[in-house]
Amino acid sequence: MKRISVVLLSVVAVVAGLFAAEIKLPTETARLAESPLPGFALASTYCYTCHSVDYVRTQPVSSRAYWKSSVVKMQKTFGAPIPDAAVDALVDYLVKTYGNERDGSLPAAPASVAPVKK
Amino acid sequence: MNRSRPELPRTIDRRKFLGAAGALAAGVALPGSVARLFGAEDRVVLPFENGERELVAYPQKRPLIQLTARPPQLETPFSVFNESVLTPNDAFFVRYHLSDIPTMIDPAAFRLRVHGKVATPLSLSLDELKRLAPPAEIVAVNQCSGNSRGHFTPRVNGGQLSHGAMGNARWTGVPLRAVLEKAGVSADAKQVSFNGLDRPPIPATPDYIKALDLDHALDGEVMLAWAMNGADLPMLNGYPLRLVVPGHYGTYWVKHLDDIEVLDHTFAGFWMATAYRVASTPAHALEPGTTAKQTEPICRFTVRSFITSLAANATVPAGRETAVRGIAFDGGHGIREVAFSSDGGRSWRAAELGVDLGKYSFREWRIGFTPDKRGAHTLMARALNRLGESQPLDPLWNPAGYLRNVVEPVKVEAV
Repeated sequence: MKRISVVLLSVVAVVAGLFAAEIKLPTETARLAESPLPGFALASTYCYTCHSVDYVRTQPVSSRAYWKSSVVKMQKTFGAPIPDAAVDALVDYLVKTYGNERDGSLPAAPASVAPVKK
Repeated sequence: MNRSRPELPRTIDRRKFLGAAGALAAGVALPGSVARLFGAEDRVVLPFENGERELVAYPQKRPLIQLTARPPQLETPFSVFNESVLTPNDAFFVRYHLSDIPTMIDPAAFRLRVHGKVATPLSLSLDELKRLAPPAEIVAVNQCSGNSRGHFTPRVNGGQLSHGAMGNARWTGVPLRAVLEKAGVSADAKQVSFNGLDRPPIPATPDYIKALDLDHALDGEVMLAWAMNGADLPMLNGYPLRLVVPGHYGTYWVKHLDDIEVLDHTFAGFWMATAYRVASTPAHALEPGTTAKQTEPICRFTVRSFITSLAANATVPAGRETAVRGIAFDGGHGIREVAFSSDGGRSWRAAELGVDLGKYSFREWRIGFTPDKRGAHTLMARALNRLGESQPLDPLWNPAGYLRNVVEPVKVEAV
């Protein structure tokens, strides 16, 4: 009897599984632009924890004040485990790579964009 | 409930995208609301700085404009709005806030919990929900609060969207009122909060929970929908159940809805008390660069209209009539009139309105345009709703980039 119940439960589980809706998301491709600035390693540690980095690349070219408020928002509002000591270096990397302190000879949108995964 | 986390990528692709970046750095104006870049079919460039995007086909979706991958934020290519007045499910925009999103849901195991200030807490299966009341249908636009944010001047930070974070669908479900009446709302209830299966990536992040005033929740139009355009909701649009709040911005349309709580107080969570707020000023507008002294939750859509049949820099024959088409919508009062100008707003003619699918739907419009001479012509559409509200000719501004509804000119070339 017990064995029959186990078999029945297995069948039920398999049948239910057949009707479950499931999707597989495409691979995330956006990467932070490499930089010798110390904030690059920090950004590579912290930013990817919660979100893809196309959020960074697609912003209009913005000021240090914006990037500071953004990093502090991640830390204080969204609870990202960013140590206080890392904030200035993160902001420095972001504004010098994506913001209005970036080198004029660098591309405006230096993050990699990989081809579409079909 | 089965939920699984999306896998994180392990490989780094270092291919750079210097061409578009260079063009944008040089401030080159790119033609078209969505310009094809170098003939590549898998990328588009939206007409603002840092506007290059990949077109990516997500499950149950055709290639859409990817704003972010984790969580997915996908914009509808604008040409879709000229295909049909109802936006196809596979082209409907996707917007999540928090990245732990459900990718596998067993509908047989799904339960909607209704609890809080009610006489009888409920735990309803999808079948029970579908039998609760006769199915209701409504055609309604869903639009992101920040739709068109990328077009703000001066620019504002946030998701840099063009005009594709909107869509119009026929929603099928049960009125929220029927569910709340079954549970029996307490006399001291003030608001109702809504939570879905999407979760924060780390526990310290505020979960995405929204709330409506009790009167609104009981208005008979707010719906728990399991289908759009006659099919199950796509996973990325909130399968198996989402809130539909006609006339109101998408922030309230909670996806994968599995928890409803009736409250005896005003909900104080981050996504109501801090985020998605607008200035308590006329038209919620502010002087550029300033911030609001007093704010309130964002609410109904502003009046909007678009020309859909002609993209920027399209060519039309001089001296012959071209049929121009478009769409208009508002926050639920209904479109009374759409005016059309082919001379940059100096003179206006009334367009012919199409089939009325209800006051929350896109309303199609059409008009003939015969350019009297060769050269550039600036086309404009301007809608008026049944309250007499319309669209400004000069853009209003707010720091979050919400509520955009300026008249959107389309320059065409008569040849």
